[in-house]
Amino acid sequence: MHELSLAQSLIEQLLDLAKEHQAERITRVTVTLGPFSGIVRDSFEFGFDNLKQSQDATRKAVLKLETPDPVYICLDCGKVAVIPFSSENDRLESVRLGPFAKKCPWCCSNRLSPKGGTELILNQVEME
Amino acid sequence: MCDTCGCQLHEHHHHDAKVVEVNRSLLAANQKQADSNRHHIEEMGAVAINMISSPGSGKTTLLEHTIEALKDTVRIGVIEGDIETERDADRIRAKGVPAVQLTTGGACHLDAPMVHGGLHVLEHFAKGGKYDLIFIENVGNLVCPATFDLGEHQRIILLSVPEGSDKPAKYPATFRSADLLLITKTDLQPYFDFSMEEAKKEALLLKPGLGIICLSATTGDGFTQWIDYLKSLLKN
Repeated sequence: MHELSLAQSLIEQLLDLAKEHQAERITRVTVTLGPFSGIVRDSFEFGFDNLKQSQDATRKAVLKLETPDPVYICLDCGKVAVIPFSSENDRLESVRLGPFAKKCPWCCSNRLSPKGGTELILNQVEME
Repeated sequence: MCDTCGCQLHEHHHHDAKVVEVNRSLLAANQKQADSNRHHIEEMGAVAINMISSPGSGKTTLLEHTIEALKDTVRIGVIEGDIETERDADRIRAKGVPAVQLTTGGACHLDAPMVHGGLHVLEHFAKGGKYDLIFIENVGNLVCPATFDLGEHQRIILLSVPEGSDKPAKYPATFRSADLLLITKTDLQPYFDFSMEEAKKEALLLKPGLGIICLSATTGDGFTQWIDYLKSLLKN
């Protein structure tokens, strides 16, 4: 939620950085959206692409979004697993076949607890 | 003509490109204020609790009963968050405890800067400016408040029986951020399909080791456990 205010917050950080490094414009921005951050990728991109227009320094900035796969720890066997969210195709299939139940790939338990993945990080900025 | 700076040099020149490693949260501004709030609250000698739940889960009612039980021995202050009205702050004030109402006018959650303002007003209201326990009752919303650290020491999520035991699974980010889960209105269990087992199981999957207290403000069931929990926070 709040993709727009987060995008605005990002724009403000970029403007501060441009000023700090005496750059005229931001060319590229890399951001990590954690899989459990609750932020919707498309909405965030849309927000950023619109808000960046308001300033010369950010107008041409290209946003590169990293969306790492979700990581879980199994509460039964203690092992860690990376289980991607289903792709668009899988999702349509699961509507037909039934819910997608996450299982531990090591011991088949369904007691998977989300591990990390709540981060929203401005990683790197390219400017000139 | 160079289309970067409009100069007339024939040879093509590149303005200096620079790569800066930042590695900073998009929520850094709120986090900074939250950390400052936490420190401020500690300087006041208090412990702060952020109460998050859907509208109508029983936050204010629980606070009324809590104040009744503790006001003679514990200095309590309350920061209320709502979109409109001062109704909740008025209820707290009627119990003889200072309350600040933050009305957002539209924002669906409190954030650290708002709470910062509230803390200053609360200090102003207190006789001597000292508190032991500060409750921050967030805007009724099971989604957005979870994202924003307010500077609390403990985050409590309330889930009432009529809401349903599937809510922890449906709102993982919120329940995962809890320091304590309060299952409220337990007196209504006979009238609803609420599985205590499901609610606890799902919550513990998201946050292994999460403390869970079931209570009814109306009957007093579980209330002692809640008071003991609060007292344990004050021990330091």
